[in-house]
Amino acid sequence: MFFYYCDLAWRSIRKTPMLSMLMVLAISIGIGITITTLNVYKTMSYNPAGERSEVINSVQLWSQGLDTWDDFISNITYIDAMNLRNNQQLSLKAATFRTGLALQSDNPKIEPVLQSVRVTDRDFFRIFSVPFLYGSYWDASVDLRPAYQVVISQKLNLRFFEGKNSVGKTVFLDRKPYQIVGVIDHWNPQPKYYDPLNGAFNDAEEIFIPFSLTAQEEFDVWGNTSGWKFEPMITYSDRLASEKVWIQFWTELNSEDEKQHYQSWLTRYVEQQRAIGRFTDTAKSAAEAVQISDIDKWLEDNNVVPQDNKILVGLSLLFLSVCLVNILGLLLTKFLKRAPEVGVRRAIGASRGQIFSQYMVEVGMIGFIGGLVGLLWAWGSLTALHSYFSMDQSVTGLDASMWVITPLIAISTAVLAGIYPAWVVCRTKPSVYLKAQ
Amino acid sequence: MLHIKPILSSLMRSKSSPILLLLQIILSVAIVANASFIIYERLSLMQRESGYAEAQILTFSVYNFDPAIDNIKQNEVDQLILRALPNVIDASSSNMLPLSDSGWMDRYVDGPNEDTAKSTPGFAFYLGNDHLLNVMGAKLVAGRNFNPDEINTNIDDPGMLAIVSQPLAKAFWGDESPLGKTMYQGTQTVTIIGVVDKLQGAWVDHENFEYSVIQNVDFGGSSSNKMYMVRALPEHIPALEEAIRSALHAENPNRVLDNFQTVAELKNLSYSNHRLMATVLSMMVVLLLLITALGLTGMVMFNIQRRTKQIGTRRALGARKRDIIQYFMVENYLICIVGGVIGGVLALVLGQQLMSLYSLPMVPVIYPIMSVIGLLVVTTLAVIVPATKAANISPAMATRSV
Repeated sequence: MFFYYCDLAWRSIRKTPMLSMLMVLAISIGIGITITTLNVYKTMSYNPAGERSEVINSVQLWSQGLDTWDDFISNITYIDAMNLRNNQQLSLKAATFRTGLALQSDNPKIEPVLQSVRVTDRDFFRIFSVPFLYGSYWDASVDLRPAYQVVISQKLNLRFFEGKNSVGKTVFLDRKPYQIVGVIDHWNPQPKYYDPLNGAFNDAEEIFIPFSLTAQEEFDVWGNTSGWKFEPMITYSDRLASEKVWIQFWTELNSEDEKQHYQSWLTRYVEQQRAIGRFTDTAKSAAEAVQISDIDKWLEDNNVVPQDNKILVGLSLLFLSVCLVNILGLLLTKFLKRAPEVGVRRAIGASRGQIFSQYMVEVGMIGFIGGLVGLLWAWGSLTALHSYFSMDQSVTGLDASMWVITPLIAISTAVLAGIYPAWVVCRTKPSVYLKAQ
Repeated sequence: MLHIKPILSSLMRSKSSPILLLLQIILSVAIVANASFIIYERLSLMQRESGYAEAQILTFSVYNFDPAIDNIKQNEVDQLILRALPNVIDASSSNMLPLSDSGWMDRYVDGPNEDTAKSTPGFAFYLGNDHLLNVMGAKLVAGRNFNPDEINTNIDDPGMLAIVSQPLAKAFWGDESPLGKTMYQGTQTVTIIGVVDKLQGAWVDHENFEYSVIQNVDFGGSSSNKMYMVRALPEHIPALEEAIRSALHAENPNRVLDNFQTVAELKNLSYSNHRLMATVLSMMVVLLLLITALGLTGMVMFNIQRRTKQIGTRRALGARKRDIIQYFMVENYLICIVGGVIGGVLALVLGQQLMSLYSLPMVPVIYPIMSVIGLLVVTTLAVIVPATKAANISPAMATRSV
């Protein structure tokens, strides 16, 4: 019976090509716009940490003076980063910031390139579950006693060492030799949740070097440095001793208990710092001057999903509802026009239920075609977003879930629009039309 | 004259399709009003004058990784090389690039005592030499530029001078002239010697975007990471990148030259989110009107088919063609106006929601009104074609049985 209805629906659709095209157009445009905005929203609001979202935590401190900043700043000072690194209670902890260095190898044929570099501790790789192709992260002793060791990406390994195991080999960063200890396998979390501050959809760095080298190598900071008071910033040691914030601090807290424990340790730390004259804004209590953010909160606080995007999702849903009303009107028009035909069918024995399901199959078919066309629209507009507005590929790629969501939205929209017209038409009294004929 | 009463009673007889139309008009007005307001806002952001000769300024970064390089000397030599290149109008080092979304922000206070002094609003803090103003293409409206012998090499040197943007001067000193005023940064003093009419900062969405200061420091000498701006006529810019690369690499090969971009390109990139929003919303508005119009045409056509007999009868009883057209138009306008009023109210409510959720400004009432007018025009176009067709129905149709 279902296939018979499908056949009938297809005939009916072909009988009024303009009207059917109009309906498919309306539903497909509505779907196209909704899917485009939903897709961008969904990929932007994706949490790459998955089930580790609550375990991975960053630390913010209210280190500012009175009447300066109104919110917690994502970064902390070098002094605090060093103190938090030295806290032996935590099992895993890592300070990190971004810098840039000129990269050269023994291979003279490859020109030096300026590379974005992540400066961090060894626990970074464990906290963020970074996969290794060869070797591993540097030894724990390197975090205490600086050594020129480096972890590189498989892409760099491919370029400089033809993809062979390069552990033990040397690369030059700013003309200093660094020994390779590990090669990272494919790893490029999107959004770049470990540092969304300078472009949440940038690619992951290709080079990782020990944070312990910072003081002696005086790495430039390729990120935000914010200050709330005037401090001379002439030499690098001025920076290290300043109240300027520019470092992110990460830790792993496996249970609510550990979190509580760490929170109270941090509270004591703030009290201690206040005693020696830092953290001068005492309007907040010491406990309130500490913030531990898991990944969900961190992504939210750093506005990874732009406001515009939320507005667009809302407006496109409204748009879809206009399309729905539009199709409702058109379907009503079309079905009522066929009332005489329904009258005859009813007279020769079709039940109301049969008429109703026949028309619902037709509506579902229009929805399905509209959904397919809408997916094409969405694909087209996402491609346009990528090429004309330089939006990142990771955001404009069609999310796999959209293949399920699109037909679902399309058919439910059509069915929602079709129920009333189908109900009206199945209530047709055969006698009226038999008489008129 | 317009025969509203019979139209109303016929609308009342078959309620469902006028109600649907009404609903569609209401939603459309709400969406179009809010969307066009957001579009207008974004476009006016993008049309602000920047104060720069945008298309004439080529910017790039230099990273010297040779530890033997003396940064201060190298910076001077490099700038001489840049200015000597053919077609180059002028060149200067800088610490940040206009409209680039990254840079320095700072503030001055007006006294040596930090506790009592009043602070200026935050401003974009450019550091450059006597050539920078010419490279930027900024217009001095009061005071003077730095002299070549007044340029410092370090940010903590004495003898700091500053040129401020007019909006900043207005915001802090009001109508008083800022020229000759002494400002403080910690213990360091800065004397204001010039005012330029316009000089935007780096962050297009920042509330202090128009507040900028240039201070007399040749920043290219202070670290191995440098930025330069070179001014040339737009037709000479494409060839310039290669010329700069080879000239600077010939001087010293141990460096990476990168990020060649004009200020116009930087601006384009910084505004890309706003452009995107305006484009997407414009397309939404156009498509919405299109769908509404097509849907309306379809429905009116159907109504006409259903009422062929009545129309024929009216014509037979003496109605003129324009009476028939008028009938459909008035019917449409009735629905549009009722829908427009309700939709306008809904638009304002929606605007209020957006305002409270996303700190957007409130939609002015003119936007819903304009949207209704726009819809009236579109629906007129959508109705007039089928209505004209209806008017051509011959009176003889009435007597024929269908």
